[in-house]
Amino acid sequence: MLQYLEFEESIGKVWDRFLNNKVNTSYEDARVYFTDKEKSLKVFYHLLGGEKAKELQVTDKRFIDTSRSMIEKISGKGNHFYLTWQDEKGVYLPSSLAIFTTKEENEMLYFWLIAMCTRINNFQGNILSKNFHASQELIQTYPGFKHFYTHALKNLIEVNEKLSFIKNLNTENLLNDTSTLSNIDNYPFIMWVYPPLSSHGRYSEFNDEEEPLRNGDEKETQTLQMKKQANQIDDSKETDGLLAFLPEAMMSILEQVNVDRSEDDSFDEDALYNAQDLDEITLGQKKANLSSRLKMDLDLTVNAHEEYPIGKGKYLDEWDYKKESYLKNYVCIRPHLITNVEPMQLSAHLKKMLKKIQNELDLMELDRIKNNRLPYGDEINLDTWIDYKSNKNKAAHHQKFYESFVKKTRDMSTLILADVSLSTEAGITQEVRVIDLIKDGLIVFSEALERLEDRFAIYSFSSLKNTNVRFEIIKNFKEKYSAYTRGRIDAMKPGYYTRMGAAIRESSKILTMQQTQNKLLLIISDGKPNDVDRYDGRYGIEDTKKAITECKKLGITPFCITIDVESKEYMPYLFGKNGYALVRNSKKLPSVLPEIYMNLTK
Amino acid sequence: MSNTYYLPQANEVELFEVAASMNLPLLIKGPTGCGKTRFVEYMGDKLKRDVYTVVCHDDLSAADLIGRHLIDENGTYWQDGPLTKAVRNGGICYLDEIIEARKDTTVILHSLADYRRVLPIDRTGEMIQAHPDFMLVVSYNPGYQNLLKGMKPSTKQRFISLSFDYPHAGVEKEIIIKESGVNADIAQRLTTIADEIRQLDDNDIQEAVSTRLLVYAGKLISKGFNPYDACMHSIVESLSDEREVLEVLERLVQLHFIQKN
Repeated sequence: MLQYLEFEESIGKVWDRFLNNKVNTSYEDARVYFTDKEKSLKVFYHLLGGEKAKELQVTDKRFIDTSRSMIEKISGKGNHFYLTWQDEKGVYLPSSLAIFTTKEENEMLYFWLIAMCTRINNFQGNILSKNFHASQELIQTYPGFKHFYTHALKNLIEVNEKLSFIKNLNTENLLNDTSTLSNIDNYPFIMWVYPPLSSHGRYSEFNDEEEPLRNGDEKETQTLQMKKQANQIDDSKETDGLLAFLPEAMMSILEQVNVDRSEDDSFDEDALYNAQDLDEITLGQKKANLSSRLKMDLDLTVNAHEEYPIGKGKYLDEWDYKKESYLKNYVCIRPHLITNVEPMQLSAHLKKMLKKIQNELDLMELDRIKNNRLPYGDEINLDTWIDYKSNKNKAAHHQKFYESFVKKTRDMSTLILADVSLSTEAGITQEVRVIDLIKDGLIVFSEALERLEDRFAIYSFSSLKNTNVRFEIIKNFKEKYSAYTRGRIDAMKPGYYTRMGAAIRESSKILTMQQTQNKLLLIISDGKPNDVDRYDGRYGIEDTKKAITECKKLGITPFCITIDVESKEYMPYLFGKNGYALVRNSKKLPSVLPEIYMNLTK
Repeated sequence: MSNTYYLPQANEVELFEVAASMNLPLLIKGPTGCGKTRFVEYMGDKLKRDVYTVVCHDDLSAADLIGRHLIDENGTYWQDGPLTKAVRNGGICYLDEIIEARKDTTVILHSLADYRRVLPIDRTGEMIQAHPDFMLVVSYNPGYQNLLKGMKPSTKQRFISLSFDYPHAGVEKEIIIKESGVNADIAQRLTTIADEIRQLDDNDIQEAVSTRLLVYAGKLISKGFNPYDACMHSIVESLSDEREVLEVLERLVQLHFIQKN
C-alpha cells in the first residue's frame, strides 16, 4: 500500500516537471533576487527622486484572466503574475526575476522598474498611457535605458506574441481610443507598473484608523514580509469566535486564517506559515478584547534580578503647554539599580562587530595635538625661544620653550539615555527584538568609549504615568566599565511608556555635575514621547521640547538617535535639524552608534 | 576685466561690493566645491584688492595669522602674518574653513570684525588700525554634524552672512562648458547626473557631488577620455566607498553615458 502511494507521488512529480518545462519561459541560471539588490535599488530610487519615506517590498502574485493555451490551463499557470505596483506606503517588486537570458539584463529590469515607479505618481487611471509616457520619458532621458528597452521589448515579444500590442502604442491612439485600451485586459507586461493590488473597491469602505497604544502589533505585521492581497471583510458585528466562518471556504482556495492584527496577542506561527501560502488574506475589523488590552498594564514583568529602588524617588516639574507654566513637583522619578547581575563576557558576534569599527577607533586614537609652552618636552619650540630672545626684558619672560605631542583628549562627558519602553519589545525578525539591538548597541558603544578613554554613563528609562518614572542606572560616571556593566546592560527589560521630558531633566542634572567643558546627552529612542495619562500627542512633545531647551541652557548638547522612520514629523521640532540622526535600518544600530558618536566629536 | 572666471548666481556680487565699501566683514557658508573660494578670488580681482588666503586647521595658532619673530644674521626680526599684512596694507583676508580652527584662535578676530577695526599684537605691543581697504572674509561648510566644532555665536554675530549652494542647472551647465570646454550636450548630462545625486540625503551618501567634480569630469572628457570612464573616476569613486552606493552610482552613469568596450 505504502509503495503504491509513493509510486503515485513520483508519477505526479514527473508530470509536474514535464508541465513546468512546457510552460516556463524563465531562465533559472540568470535569476536575480530582490533581496540581493534591495539596498542598491533603494539608493537608486532616491537617486531618481523617489519619496524617501517609501519602502521597497516584495509583491504577491496577482490574478489576471488571459487567454491561456491548453497546456497552461492544465498546469494551472498563466493566470497569475508577479507585477510591480506601488501605493502611498511603498513600492512592490517581484521577489526575483528570470525573464531574460543574462543576469545583467534581469538586474537592469529591476532598475528599470524602479525608474518607472519614480515617473508614475498617482496609482489609478489609465495605466496604459501612464506606462507608455513614463517609459518614453525614461528612454529619452537615459540613453542606457533606451538601449535596454528596445532590446528587452524585442525579446519579450518574440517569446510571447500577445505582447505585440505594445509596439502599436503611440501618443495618438492613446489619446483617441481610451475606452478599449484603458482596461487591463491586455496581456500583463512585466516592464510596467500596475495599480495597487488590493483595490477591489471594498478597500476604501473601511475606517482604516489604527488604534493607538497597540505597541505589540509590529510583531505580526513585520514577520509577514510578503505583501498580500488584503481582502477585508466586515466582521466587526460578530459577537464571538475568533474565526469568521465562510461556508464556501471549505472547498475553495479562499481561506481565512486568524491573523487578525488587532486580535492576536500570541505569536501564532502556524497562522503565519499558512498566510504565506494563501492567495488572499482576509483581515477582520473586530476590536481587541478588553482583557488582552488590559494585560499590558497589569502584566508586570517578572524579574529574575533584584532591583533596588534608590531612595523614594525625586519630584520634578513638568511643562504644561496649555497653561504655559510648570506643574511643580508633578512627576516622580525613581532611580533603580539592578544588583545581583552576573558578569558578562563579550559574545562572538559583538567581538566581530567591534573588529569592524576598530580601524576608525585607531584613527581617532592617533589624533594628537601639539602642546606648547612646556617646561620640558620632546622638542624645542623655536617660536617661543625666539620670542624670549627678542624680548628686551628677559627676566619677565617665561622659559617654557618645549613642546610635545599629546593624545588629543576630548574634554567631554557623555550620558547615554536609552528608551526602554514597551515598544522596544517589538520584533525586528523572529529572534531579534528592538531591545536586543539597543543592548548590543550599548555594549559596542561602551567598548568604543572605553577605548577612547572618554567619560560616559548609561541610564535607561520608562514610565507609567507621572507617579512612576523608572530611571535605571546601568553605569554612572564614577564607576569603571566592566563585565558587570555588560551584565547590567544585558539585564535590561522593556518597561512601559516614554515620559521623555522627565528623563531628560534628570539626566541634565547628572550632567551638570560633571566638570568637563563639553557635555553630551545622547538619547537612543524608538518613538515619540508618550504615556498613558495626558502625556501623549502635543502635551508630551511640548514637555520634551521644553526639557531639551532647559538642557541646552545648562550648556549640554542633546542629540537623539532614533530608529523611528516616522520621526521626521517631530524630531526636527524637538532636537533641531542637526540634532538627531535617523537609523533607518534598525539592525545596523549597534554598528552605527559609535560611528555617529565619532562623527559628532571628531 | 578680471582674470578669474566666476558666474554670479544671485545678488552675491552686489552684497560683497557693498560690504567692502562699508567695511563690513563677510561670512560665506556652503557645501564643498560650490565656488566659495573662487568667488572671493574673483571679487579680489574685481575690487583690485590683494587676497590673503589662510586655510584653517586645528593646529592653527594665533601666531600663524598675526606673525612671529624670526632670526637672521642680525638677530631676531618681526615677520607679519597674512592677517597683519592685510590689515596694514589693505586687502582681503580670507580664512577658509574657519570652523576647523580652534575657538581660541578665532577670538583674535573679534576686535577686527566690529566697529573698532583694530588688531592688537601682544608680542610687539603694537595696536594696528586697519587700512580702509582691509576686509575680512571667512567661510565654512555647515553640513557636518559636529558638537566640538562650530563657531562661537559671539564670533558668528560679527559677520554679514551669505549662503551658497550648488548653482542651478542652467548656471552650472554654463560653468562646466566654460571651465572644461566640453560641448553643451555633455555638460547637460553632467548637470542631470549631479541633480540626481543631490537628491540623496546623508543616509545614503555623506556629501553630494560638487560643481568642482563636474568640472573635473568635463576636463577629462574634453581631453578625449570617454564620458563613462571620466565620470567613474571623477564623480563616482570620489563620493563613496560603500559597495552598494558605488554600484548604483555606476549604473546611473551607465544610463547616461553608454559604456564603450
